[in-house]
Amino acid sequence: MPSAAALKVLIVDDQQSMRLLIRGGLQQLGFREFDEAPDGEAGLRSLIASPVQLVISDFNMPKLDGLGLLRAVRVHPPTAKIAYIMLTGRGDAELVQRAVQFGVNNFLVKPFTVATLREKIEAVFGTLT
Amino acid sequence: MDPMDAIRQTFFQECEEQLAELESGLLAMQGGARDSETVNAVFRAVHSVKGGAGAFGLDDLVRFAHVFETTLEAVRSDQLVADAHVLKVMLRAADVLADLVRASRDGQVLDESHASASATELASLGGPAAGPAIADDADPLASLMFQPMMVEAAPEPDRWIVRFRPRAEMYAKANDAVMLLRELARLGPTSVSLDASDLPDLATLEPEGAYLAWTVQLQTDQPESSIQEVFEFVDCDCDVDIKPADAVMAEEPAAEVDPNADVMALIRSLQAEVAPEPEPAAIPEPILVAVPIPMAAPIAAAAPPPPQVREEAVAPKPTIRVDLDRVDRLIDLVGELVINGAMLTQRVGEAGISRASAVTVALDELEHLTREIQDSVMAIRAQPVKSVFARMPRLAREVAAMTGKQVRLTSEGEATEVDKTVIEHLADPLTHMIRNAIDHGLESPDVRRAAGKPEEGTVKLQALHRSGRIVIEVSDDGAGINRAKVRESAIAKGLVAPDAVLSDEETDNLIFLPGFSTADKVSDISGRGVGMDVVRRSIQALGGRINIASRPGKGSTFTLSLPLTLAVLDGMVVTVAEQTLIVPLTAIIETLQPRAADIHEMGDAARVIAIRGTYLPLIGVGAALGWADPERSVTGGVALLIEGEDGSRAVLLVDAIQGQRQVVIKSLEANYRRVPGVAAATILGDGRVALILDVDAIVSDARGDAPFAETRAELGLAYA
Repeated sequence: MPSAAALKVLIVDDQQSMRLLIRGGLQQLGFREFDEAPDGEAGLRSLIASPVQLVISDFNMPKLDGLGLLRAVRVHPPTAKIAYIMLTGRGDAELVQRAVQFGVNNFLVKPFTVATLREKIEAVFGTLT
Repeated sequence: MDPMDAIRQTFFQECEEQLAELESGLLAMQGGARDSETVNAVFRAVHSVKGGAGAFGLDDLVRFAHVFETTLEAVRSDQLVADAHVLKVMLRAADVLADLVRASRDGQVLDESHASASATELASLGGPAAGPAIADDADPLASLMFQPMMVEAAPEPDRWIVRFRPRAEMYAKANDAVMLLRELARLGPTSVSLDASDLPDLATLEPEGAYLAWTVQLQTDQPESSIQEVFEFVDCDCDVDIKPADAVMAEEPAAEVDPNADVMALIRSLQAEVAPEPEPAAIPEPILVAVPIPMAAPIAAAAPPPPQVREEAVAPKPTIRVDLDRVDRLIDLVGELVINGAMLTQRVGEAGISRASAVTVALDELEHLTREIQDSVMAIRAQPVKSVFARMPRLAREVAAMTGKQVRLTSEGEATEVDKTVIEHLADPLTHMIRNAIDHGLESPDVRRAAGKPEEGTVKLQALHRSGRIVIEVSDDGAGINRAKVRESAIAKGLVAPDAVLSDEETDNLIFLPGFSTADKVSDISGRGVGMDVVRRSIQALGGRINIASRPGKGSTFTLSLPLTLAVLDGMVVTVAEQTLIVPLTAIIETLQPRAADIHEMGDAARVIAIRGTYLPLIGVGAALGWADPERSVTGGVALLIEGEDGSRAVLLVDAIQGQRQVVIKSLEANYRRVPGVAAATILGDGRVALILDVDAIVSDARGDAPFAETRAELGLAYA
């Protein structure tokens, strides 16, 4: 039962508004520490420089997309065990399949509510305190 | 502000960026680009708009973006070929998307048919069955049987690979391999694989031999010693190899093609980049000592260097967003600083301090720095013309669609920078000129074909810096101006005398006259009662000039020349009837001392002056403003040969020239009211207000075009 305040989150999305929305949602859930990146490559750079416990990443991004980032996170031993939640549009079955294959922890479908966000995170970490 | 509102604003700002990306991507595709980079960028733009719109509950936008996205997906996956027709439909859809975004932003409701027509058009392009309706609210992942993967809260158990190959002795001592495997399983979850490759065929099998080996993958939070303990009693009778799983994986030869090679290379490069670099040895900064250079009398402050024309493709530089009010306040303050500096210089001069004294030298240095600050501050307001140019392709498409003409709009020099206010005021005139170029300039496809031209007409938009001004050209390869028709129309409207002798250039310039229109039928596009005269007036209001060059059958080119900034002006300081006036330097071609012999009376107080064989109207500025007696002698004064916005020349007569200087423009309109004959005002070094002459108004008044006799009284009132 982890405390949200103890978990640092990396938010990766090419849209600043989306990053702000996710961050706002996470703050409501008690998260306090965030890193942000506008694309997969910047996300990976951030992870290598300062690890986090959870990555919430969009799929469709320039440079390195969400799947690429996921693969990179998993093959790099220091980050291999970081929880990874992928943001997706609706019903992209193929994407889901591939992300599962690469070891995604959960999905978050846009648009989402704070309650859904909590539910998706708790499915990975257990009930947040 | 409500944080949600702030995010909404960010979203709409981002939407504008995405829309620009979308349009430029589609235009690039129209130009033949088919690389996945471009197609992906286009797809991502629409996708991002959709995603954000969903988050803000903008359902109309989501619905339309979804249809659009589906079509783009078909293009991306090569199910739909992006031919000219498809791209045309998609460009229209991009326009509709832009309309929807802006309507959502401004809280307006768009006519439903607008979007639905475009959506139908998109759907009709075919491709895969137009995406599933997005009404269904069920969790789309539910059907995918996806089980979220828990992250263990406890420390992740270590994974071990245990290779275990019993020798015959082990079995001889009544040890059972199965027992050992069970023991291992008690430490944590195991997965066991049997290696029976050494097993001989039955004929050669030794009943008491040992042929089997096992590889066990074990996850356990127990230390390595616990694993070793399992084999404690059989240690000598079997080969046991215990290794952490990570190490084993590293040892294993890589598969022929590592699917993750790309990301691993990326990780390595990023690691190298992120790794802390050794502190560079401190390099001592060179110490510069400012050596003041005594400057000659501060005449002719050089025109500010034009802001750099930026390279088309530069890596994005870090930027900050600053409230425009703050920048304007800064510009105002720097303007005051320049005025104060000039006042100080003047006072020092009046006090009789030597020009070589330390005070004067320091003052020169200060003035020099102030100018530099002013240029730098002006550069903050400078923006690339791209923001205006970017609106034109859509306009061209719409006008082309309405007129049934085929147009290719090309633009050059989009990175050319000019003051923000100039840019803002450029949109309307440019819009009108592009409309005109397509509606009146270009011929219809069949006429073009008959003339041996490509059916698709070209309209070129170009911006460049030329001698301290920005020049914008709108050229078309259409029929050119029909001079006979222009003349006929102007005569019919009483704008010129039927027997007037006009040069080609003069005839072309007739289209700038108020009330002029040659369109046979009033079209929806250009014939809105807004003519080229309005364009000219708005360009002039910006301190600009407009010119036209036309070649029959080849096309026309409209050239706008505008100042880079509206805040300062290079002026000639002159004395008229003991008042100080500023004449914009851009209007002055030369100054001369008039000789009585060159001046000829033309009857009713009108005079002309002969300059190198050409007779030009001579206008006494003092008389024109009502400050001096028109009958006054003209000799002893100074004549300024000037060129008006329309290219016509005249000579202005002033009493004396004080010098040339850059002045800070203060709006007379904002502080007092509009006064014909006066463009603006400025504050001089001695603190007095000086008026900036509106050269064109003075000249047209003298010609009798626009009498402003009432002005004289007004100016008398204002400056009595």
